[in-house]
Amino acid sequence: MNTMPLRLWRKPLDADQTVVPCAKVYIVNQRCDGCGFCIDFCPKGVLARSEEMNEKRIYPPKAIDETRCNLCGFCRSVCPTCAIFPVERELKEQM
Amino acid sequence: MEATQVKSKPEEETRIGVYVCHCGLNIAGSVDCEKVAKFAATLPHVVLARDNRYTCSDQGQELIKKDVREYKLNRVVVASCTPRLHEPTFRRACEEAGLNKYLFEMANIREHCSWVHLYEREKATEKAKDLVKMAVAKAALLEPQEEMTVPITRRALVIGGGVAGIQASLDLADAGYKVYLVEKEPSIGGRMAQIDKTFPTMDCSICILAPKMSDVGRHPGIELFTNSEITNVQGYIGNFKVKVLEEPRYVTKDCSACGDCSKACPVTLPNEFDVGLATRHAIYTPFPQAVPSTYIVDRENCLNKNFIVCENCMTTCERNAVDFTMLPETVELEVGTIIVASGADVFDPSSLANYGFGKFPNVVTSLEFERLINAGGPSGGKLLRPSDMQIPKTVAFIQCVGSRSEKGSLSCSNICCMNTVKDALLIKEHWPDVKIYVFYVDIRAFGKGFEDLFRRAKEEGVVFIRGLPAEIIETRKSHDLLLIGENTLEKKLYKVSVGMVVLSIGLEPRKDSDVVQRLFTLSRTPDGYFMEAHPKLRPVDTPTGGVFLAGCAESPKDIKDSVTQACAAASRANILMAQGKVTIEAITPSLIAEKCKICGLCAKVCPYNAIIVDRKEKRTEVVEAACAGCGTCGAECPSEALTMRHFTDEQIFAQINAITEHDADKKIVAFCCNWCSYAGADFAGVSRMQYPTNVRIIRTMCSGRVAEKFIARAFARGAAAVLVAGCHLGDCHYINANYQTKKRIERFWKRMETAGLRKERLQLLWASAAEGERIASKVREMAEIVKSVAPEETEKTKQAFGSVK
Repeated sequence: MNTMPLRLWRKPLDADQTVVPCAKVYIVNQRCDGCGFCIDFCPKGVLARSEEMNEKRIYPPKAIDETRCNLCGFCRSVCPTCAIFPVERELKEQM
Repeated sequence: MEATQVKSKPEEETRIGVYVCHCGLNIAGSVDCEKVAKFAATLPHVVLARDNRYTCSDQGQELIKKDVREYKLNRVVVASCTPRLHEPTFRRACEEAGLNKYLFEMANIREHCSWVHLYEREKATEKAKDLVKMAVAKAALLEPQEEMTVPITRRALVIGGGVAGIQASLDLADAGYKVYLVEKEPSIGGRMAQIDKTFPTMDCSICILAPKMSDVGRHPGIELFTNSEITNVQGYIGNFKVKVLEEPRYVTKDCSACGDCSKACPVTLPNEFDVGLATRHAIYTPFPQAVPSTYIVDRENCLNKNFIVCENCMTTCERNAVDFTMLPETVELEVGTIIVASGADVFDPSSLANYGFGKFPNVVTSLEFERLINAGGPSGGKLLRPSDMQIPKTVAFIQCVGSRSEKGSLSCSNICCMNTVKDALLIKEHWPDVKIYVFYVDIRAFGKGFEDLFRRAKEEGVVFIRGLPAEIIETRKSHDLLLIGENTLEKKLYKVSVGMVVLSIGLEPRKDSDVVQRLFTLSRTPDGYFMEAHPKLRPVDTPTGGVFLAGCAESPKDIKDSVTQACAAASRANILMAQGKVTIEAITPSLIAEKCKICGLCAKVCPYNAIIVDRKEKRTEVVEAACAGCGTCGAECPSEALTMRHFTDEQIFAQINAITEHDADKKIVAFCCNWCSYAGADFAGVSRMQYPTNVRIIRTMCSGRVAEKFIARAFARGAAAVLVAGCHLGDCHYINANYQTKKRIERFWKRMETAGLRKERLQLLWASAAEGERIASKVREMAEIVKSVAPEETEKTKQAFGSVK
């Protein structure tokens, strides 16, 4: 319902005070069963199916844009094989 | 003129009294009134015809009343000025004499005759006779009418929670009515909450607004719907049924606005309230003074958009106020009056490439500037330029960005001049060393105290340069800006280097205005704002009964004007609700159910959705209270099932017949709508614009009432030419009924072409009430056409349309 009065193009002035966690998403390819839960449930659309097959002849996920990850850890929670987990890397400015 | 008829069955016998007014010499100067009265006495059903000096005087009215009783008159015709002036006067006199006021008819022999034919006494007298004949012919067919009373629900709906909506709601609620205030955003406050100070008094904007906002939140008479939009409106004056869709906040009323949830939220994004100059989280409050103060989840950007993924806010909240199971709710309200205070949008200057907004970081808009200079804003009230977060040494304001030009709105946005003067003074107040340039076209300081403020700015050393920069060039490293243009007062080119540029952006209509327009059947001016019912005398009413306007929805205006208008709108709504009922003029259609073929054409052309056609039930219903009486439905109905009361087909035919009884081939039959073209013809009279005498004007409420059969009848009776005149397209007083006029005339032109007739004998004219000269010159033009019509051509036309009923 919010209406932005103008086109957004400017960096917010308080951007340097706002720190967002920067994540590294670890994926253990060999463990993945290819259920795709992490891809479907990631709220930020960080993950996608990779083109390369693993030993189990399935396509594990890969992180297409780690900067979008908010470290909510939901992928870790839903993964039945504990094959994915994000780790906080360092603090970085947003935008 | 003694009444000598035998009174066998008085209620069946039509007894008309005619009064020809001299109006001093206004009419008698160019028309032989005595002759006209004598002529009137010879007309059928006329039992009494008098001429007197001032019919509208008390004696004149007393005479009418006396005659009605003495001569048992049951119709009264007054030939004098325009019915737009004295019809109510004479109607009242008739009522006092015990006569239904709809049994009164007027012939306009002043504005439409004596004043426009000042030097043609003979011809003017002949025309006056014709006009009286027309009025008598119509009067004979007049029927008494009952005016309907509609109850008014004593509840009001206010749309928009800006300062106008807030004021209107408080006024109505204080008057004792239940008020529903619907706001689209999560908080009320509107634009006024965003700006820093108000001109000309330099009051802190939010400081004077916040108490009003919390009054709204606390008032027992006001029910506030935020995050809500109107989805459907049905009904009519006094009896509206409105559906409001309330989007969930996902935070319950238990919220104490502590802000812990926001701190825990992992999502960061730009804050709309700060025009993107600051960040907020997905669970947030737009600004500290927000009403309601309850936080809100921006579900679109929240991690839990589709599935519950993140629980940070829920676990942090001590009061368990976060609830993601909330669902959208539709509430149905029944209200009697509606105030539309939907506000305005601001112009987006990124379309103006020469100013570089969106490219150069130090070019900001005046709205961004307001947030920058606001102590509650992202920079804490420090004027920082975005490129290096330093206080600029020079600031330039550029006026009329998106106003008064083809790029944007053509009209003046009203507020920007004074806003700039105020902003310049604010900078001077905090940082007196900052040099300020204002590039302007005109500085419009028209309001109370505005000129003083303008003078103060000049005294403080603000430099005003007439002539907008043609281009802004950015210096690569320093991000300083070079303004190039022409000083039109000195006829010299200038090159000014500044640290920061503020574009004084104009206002424009809300992007969703068409939705609001459709919901409430409003009309809009060419620049897109909602149109009032009358620009001078009904400035807050809309063409739809019971709907009023306030604030920038009607036109750009400052806070004071918005509040003034909101008070006016509240007062107008209050009048209706205090009365508790409203009478509807009896000019609505009555349905002859046996003739109706349920085709639905009438419902299709009705601008007010006042006709409900139920094909399944085979039933058509006219909602009289919603009807405004334009008569478009009556003109559209192919089976003559709708009788337009007081403007019936028979009455209009009788008028046409009266015109065309003698010398039809030398006359122009004109149909003029009551609001614009008839008023325009009145204006021509008031301005004494002279035009040929052979035009006879028939008044209808709207040009949409003019059915093709009327034009056909006029031609069939040998009329040389026909004129149909209405309001300009888009200015119709019945929203859009004149588009139907256009369609019908175009159809008739085709018929004329097929019949081998000259199209120019039927003319269509759009003329406003101020365009008397347009009417006069059109009549002059048509008089030439009339001269060119040969008798054979008239014969041919008579044959072509003779068979048409």
